[in-house]
Amino acid sequence: MLGLFLPLAASAEPKTLRVLFEAPDSGIDGALTVNWYSGKLTEMIFERLLTYDYMARPAKLVPGTAEAMPEVKDGGKTYIFHVRKGIYFTPDPAFKGKRRELTAADYIYSFERILDPQNRSPLLNFLAGKIVGLDALAAKAAKSGHFDYDAPVAGLKALDRYTLRIELNTPDYNFPYVMAMPSGMGAVAREAIEAYPGQTPSHPVGTGPYMLAQYVPSSKIVLVKNPDFRGLSWDFSAADGPNDAQIVKDMQGKRLPQIDRIEVSIIQEEQSRWLAFADKQLDLDFLPQLAAPKVMDGERLKPEYARAGIHLDRAIDAGITYTLFNMTDPVVGGYGKEKIALRRAIAMSYDTKQEIALIRNNQAVPSQMAIPPGVAGYDPAYRTSIPYDIDLANRLLDHFGYKRGADGWRTMPDGKPLAVSISRESAAVYTEMAELWQRGLDKIGIHSEHPVSNFQDNQAAALECKLMMWGAAWNADYPDGENFLQQLYGPNSLQGNMSCYRSPAFDALYKEAMALPPGPERYALYAKMNRQMEADTPWFVQTVRVRNWVSQPWVQGFKKHPILNAEWLYMDVVPH
Amino acid sequence: MGAYIVRRLWQMVPTMAGVIVMVFILFNWVGGDPATILAGKMSSAEQIANIRHQLGIDQPYYVQLWIFLKQIVSFDFGASWSTGESVAHILTTRIGPSLMVMLPMTILETLIAIALALGIAFLRGSLADRAVMVACTAGMSISILVYMIVFQYWFAFKWGWFPVQGWGDSVGENLFRYAPLPILIGLAVSVAPTLRLFRTFVLDEVGQDYVRTARAKGVSERRLVWVHVLRNAAIPIITYVMANLPGLLIGVFLLENFFSVPGIGREVIQAVDRSDFPVVKAATVYVAALTMIFNLLADLLYKAADPRVQLQ
Repeated sequence: MLGLFLPLAASAEPKTLRVLFEAPDSGIDGALTVNWYSGKLTEMIFERLLTYDYMARPAKLVPGTAEAMPEVKDGGKTYIFHVRKGIYFTPDPAFKGKRRELTAADYIYSFERILDPQNRSPLLNFLAGKIVGLDALAAKAAKSGHFDYDAPVAGLKALDRYTLRIELNTPDYNFPYVMAMPSGMGAVAREAIEAYPGQTPSHPVGTGPYMLAQYVPSSKIVLVKNPDFRGLSWDFSAADGPNDAQIVKDMQGKRLPQIDRIEVSIIQEEQSRWLAFADKQLDLDFLPQLAAPKVMDGERLKPEYARAGIHLDRAIDAGITYTLFNMTDPVVGGYGKEKIALRRAIAMSYDTKQEIALIRNNQAVPSQMAIPPGVAGYDPAYRTSIPYDIDLANRLLDHFGYKRGADGWRTMPDGKPLAVSISRESAAVYTEMAELWQRGLDKIGIHSEHPVSNFQDNQAAALECKLMMWGAAWNADYPDGENFLQQLYGPNSLQGNMSCYRSPAFDALYKEAMALPPGPERYALYAKMNRQMEADTPWFVQTVRVRNWVSQPWVQGFKKHPILNAEWLYMDVVPH
Repeated sequence: MGAYIVRRLWQMVPTMAGVIVMVFILFNWVGGDPATILAGKMSSAEQIANIRHQLGIDQPYYVQLWIFLKQIVSFDFGASWSTGESVAHILTTRIGPSLMVMLPMTILETLIAIALALGIAFLRGSLADRAVMVACTAGMSISILVYMIVFQYWFAFKWGWFPVQGWGDSVGENLFRYAPLPILIGLAVSVAPTLRLFRTFVLDEVGQDYVRTARAKGVSERRLVWVHVLRNAAIPIITYVMANLPGLLIGVFLLENFFSVPGIGREVIQAVDRSDFPVVKAATVYVAALTMIFNLLADLLYKAADPRVQLQ
């Protein structure tokens, strides 16, 4: 009798979640890429010492493979992590048939890989210059062409099999955030990396809840539940999200992961994406901003979609959009009053509300400061001192000698022609933004041109401070305002500070803030740094984007996390 | 014949050298700096210098060109700079999906265009001829983007005749389930101009004396069309088809992108966007080589189609 039921049980449909990437990943080796889509995969396969509470907002750190939050010593200079016992890598021939337990040494090896010059890791800046002795080893490797992974590093010590001691060159209270970064900070096993030279992006071996079952680059990726995963219990509290109570009701106490199989398709076209979702080929997607009016009615789904049981999760990005001024540019750069007046006038001529209403289809909110909501240091009471005000912008320019000629166009105070160049990409949204800029600048009598290039070339030029102005965006790597403000820190010029902004006042505030632990005192300094930024105007902060995530009725537990790349571990798919 | 082929192959060497130098100059002159792309958002000059060193783009140009030449000779272009995947694997795995769409499309396009061209050329000026010409003009006036959006929405999403997008794991599934809609759209776009072109080739022949003579001798219309006229119209048709064949290797980027076909066209565009030189140069060199080989094949086919052609 029992035998009759066995085939039925064996053929039970696995719980499958079908999702998409709108661009291809760059392989599944976190040390080698910062591709966002790769990050989603590495997050499922490799585990970090720390991670985030799924539901808490603002984002809150919790232990990952660590037994508890780290012991912090020497005023933020030394961190001690205790790795949980009994965590195993997925079986792989590299382990020669033995079960391979995760140890503190695996994290040392994983962090050293990021410093290995041969890996040319894009995560380098998160560890470079921070850990005692590690940079010297990397410098030696750069000369010899070989990184000595067996050499001891003073700042990275396994005190015993499970205890990791990290000593930093200077106190860094944000270091735990680095340890929780979803991409790249997960543990790899040295044997598994060395067994597959050059193939690690397509041969990931981790300890995470999922493992790779199929990898067809640029087309399809299938993850399946890791049978050796220790399992977690869904145990989070509702925050203030509108769907939180329902999520807690659906998920509380469930053993994780609930989903057996995750199928990822690469779908790059917006129409194809939306039709695939509407055709129930996909379970979860976020609406492109241009598609929002077809599906949304204000902040809600249109009745036909709501009736069909589609869930909506509106998530405000932990990121900002802004336009940068090159402070070394002969036209808009410089720190003299007339230069500051010019930048402020230019910023005042741009109608951000129009951008949000007409270009972003109301799927964004104005950004008041360089730190977005959900990130430590964001102050909801803070208001920018640079409003949209054409009249004030004109008066400012008049006052500082930017005279209008007979043709209505202004000249520089020294009589030379005045024209600004705002670089952009070719997508329709940037064309519309360029038109909006031009309309505003025409009203204040400033000629503008809007050269078009691809994003990579614009970014490369901006990193070298070669663009006069450029519309950029930044999403948080970790939920602390420092992640945004570091881009305005003078010593970071030509290495992320794309304005080449060097303000002694700003830099002093930045150093002072970095010496403080997270808390009101530090965040008050962030607000002062924002004011200093406005006073000099190297950036004109514009919007915070809103993402509308839609999921099918059978998907449970989805809530977009501001920092985690993928939420699949915490979700469920009920039979349908 | 053998001497001709050897001579033509030798002639390819300077052409290929020109292609190599051109690709190298263009990439180094107008291509973006891959190091800044790979370095990440907050990167120092030292990090970028290290990446340039690892990629070998800090070497003198003559050294880089020499490495490029060695790669061509050894058929080993190394690994993609952005994904680490070997270029050989990229090309061999992406070419299949492209061919699965492009090959049936080219065969069907050619057969349909030849059949219709022969049919309507003999009815020149008739209502059928004019109707086909009007349909061709209308078809050519519509952008492929419109076809893709409309066909995907109605044929796939609304009526469910085809999947909206996607690509499967088996040849059968891909050929009969996922490829037909992109092929149909490709045909909607390409048949019209090809048909008009082939019609002019056939019309050139229809007025020739040998057609009148054959008719006078009592040759059936069917034989006249499919044997006599087709054989004489074959040379420009072969030229056209062979010239288009290298395009198969680049695929139709838009179709691949829209229907999520993991083909070579999509891959090359991504590589250009990422300044992924190993992929771009491999694709460029192979397409150039195949273009020359297809041109040689076209010349050989002329001889097969028309014995009067002398290969010199």
